[in-house]
Amino acid sequence: MVWIALFFLVPLYVVLCVAFGTSDPVFRTAIPIWNPLEWQFAQVQVVWERLFGADNFYLPVVLRTIVYVVLAVCGCLLIAFPVAYFTARFAGRFRGLVLALLIAPFIISYMMRMLAWINLLQPDGLVNSIITLGGLLPLEVNWLSGKPYVVVMGLVYGYIPYMLLPLFVALDRISPSLLEAARDLGAGGVSTFRRVILPMSIPGIVAGTLLVSLPMMGDYFTSDMLSKSPKTTMIGNLINLSIVSPGQAGQAGALLILVLLVLLVPMVWYTRSNARAEVRS
Amino acid sequence: MDRRPRPPLSRRRMLQASALALPGAWALASCAREQPLGAPAPASSAAGAPASSAAAAPSPSATLQIASPQNPVKWPINPGNEPIASGLEPEANATLRLYNFPDYLDKAVIKDFTKEYSDYNVKVEYSTFNDYSEAMTKIRSGTVPYDVSFLTYTYIAKLVYGDLIRPLNHDYVPNIEDVWTEFQNPWYDLEWQYTVPYVIYTTGIGWRADLISEDIGALANPYDVFWDSAYAGKLAVLDDNREVIGMTILRDGGTDVNTADPAALELARDAMLEMLGMTQPRVTITGYTDIPEGVLSLSQCWSGDMITGQYYMPEGLDSSVLRYWSPPDGRGLINNDFMVVLKGGENPVLAHHFLNYMIGKDVSLKNFSWVGYQPPLRALTPKSMVADGYIPKNLAGAVVQPEWFKVGYPLLELQPQVQAEYDAIWQQFKAGA
Repeated sequence: MVWIALFFLVPLYVVLCVAFGTSDPVFRTAIPIWNPLEWQFAQVQVVWERLFGADNFYLPVVLRTIVYVVLAVCGCLLIAFPVAYFTARFAGRFRGLVLALLIAPFIISYMMRMLAWINLLQPDGLVNSIITLGGLLPLEVNWLSGKPYVVVMGLVYGYIPYMLLPLFVALDRISPSLLEAARDLGAGGVSTFRRVILPMSIPGIVAGTLLVSLPMMGDYFTSDMLSKSPKTTMIGNLINLSIVSPGQAGQAGALLILVLLVLLVPMVWYTRSNARAEVRS
Repeated sequence: MDRRPRPPLSRRRMLQASALALPGAWALASCAREQPLGAPAPASSAAGAPASSAAAAPSPSATLQIASPQNPVKWPINPGNEPIASGLEPEANATLRLYNFPDYLDKAVIKDFTKEYSDYNVKVEYSTFNDYSEAMTKIRSGTVPYDVSFLTYTYIAKLVYGDLIRPLNHDYVPNIEDVWTEFQNPWYDLEWQYTVPYVIYTTGIGWRADLISEDIGALANPYDVFWDSAYAGKLAVLDDNREVIGMTILRDGGTDVNTADPAALELARDAMLEMLGMTQPRVTITGYTDIPEGVLSLSQCWSGDMITGQYYMPEGLDSSVLRYWSPPDGRGLINNDFMVVLKGGENPVLAHHFLNYMIGKDVSLKNFSWVGYQPPLRALTPKSMVADGYIPKNLAGAVVQPEWFKVGYPLLELQPQVQAEYDAIWQQFKAGA
């Protein structure tokens, strides 16, 4: 409880005090209001107007973020699932090592990895060299010119280990004898996957999806690094822009709370479904 | 006390806990970037009226005295913030803390300074900010005792109002004789009480001639390229709301790039949203690398960016492909940055020495050859800059002419409520909606 109070409730309260606070009339820095009875709602109202009012330019950003996150989560799942499955099933006594090697690149900071991608995706970078066969084919793509799929790709690359690990844990728990039993009973590869492996890996898929999608929802760095285009702005970018713009820290707080409230829904659902599953088992 | 043994941590619990921890961590991360909390410093009005506490009586209609070429300002010196005495020795064993944009000061120049002051065993620490609002927030917070910062006049009233900068003792800065006379008595700080000029620059358009077939400078209205769908996905605008709004106003025939007129601002906003639909520009201040490397074919940029850009050319490509345009009659955006001694610094004497060192002819030239931004040096004439090889002929348009300061449009400080309007437009533009 002390941990939660110190590192979650107190910061959350500070965010609330900023969101419902005011700003300095000259420097326009945030002045939080600590007494909830004196909270002002002007900043929250601004955010609400921009989301659902006549001038709702925040709404496309929210929808865009959801689309990007859904696509990136699917991408993570499609890549991480087979990797986790083959590691769990066939790496034998080396699976710890294989897993460590798989996530080793992710020990490097997120910023450095994104900077590396910028180098790779430059017009004269390695990616273009490969797809043009060293300049023989006229296929050069300017990857860094604000393309949505590059942002989604960056999200996939950035967060895939958080999908890989829970999937591995879930798949590792599937006893090989269950798979053998399925085959003995006449199930083919697809049927075994659909009726045994997939249902048993659902806890890992759900955990991985949550682990990956929550930070993605607040990500601003990927779009900033790989796109820099307003056309790929995500909620995280809006929050970041509000924080660095004088007088808008309250709006950043309001946006943050709004996103937090939205994210609480799948979190509560996940917790309750887990609790029910434990009771059943 | 309940001493029941705890159940072992199952994998399910572990997964559940780690998933639950994320929103908390996310909120914390966001908190870490919030503005520092607390009331502003007691302040005097710019006109020198009695001090009033903005915290005690926050007023949404607070007004600042705004300096402009038509309204030059001699700022007051607040009680308790008098200049340092003459004839003091620089602080020994000191660490001089500089606060500036990244890549905006030659590290070799800093090294030379520590050598020159080696008798005093001086160290220099170079910290960076990404934009001026971040700089103002950190300077106001006083958490790091920065000695010298590199700022611009869009914040000068706030710097004085907040008692954040020290008035200068001119005895320590004799090299001021090396700079253009206009900057020895600039409109934004008459009698250079607080500031020493650093660099001057115009805002224009930079491009690579091998990637853009059109001669942008020869177009009837070169700013139109940002609304030309033929350039969609190839260009960028500066990540600076004042510069983009200012350029939009100029493109539409306006000249008041500091307008507070809601109708004019609405027109600018609509034009910017139209630009977004037409060309989907990126928003960045890294044109000085992106254009040479071909990531961008064309970008709104500062004159110094293109001059620096010649040092970022990819192997095998000559810098002769770089181009820069700003209105050749000088009627475009034109500004300058300056150096100030911060009140919160611990080494005011050494800071004065540093300012003097920086505007000296040789040091200033050395710094120019690295940062690409032109200092207002008497010894540096537009002709000599090209002849001496500081600027290639193809970038001669990036040289700032002294007379342009008489006809160009500086981006002035805005009243806080007007700045809020500019910020709101920028928010909408960057939302990409």
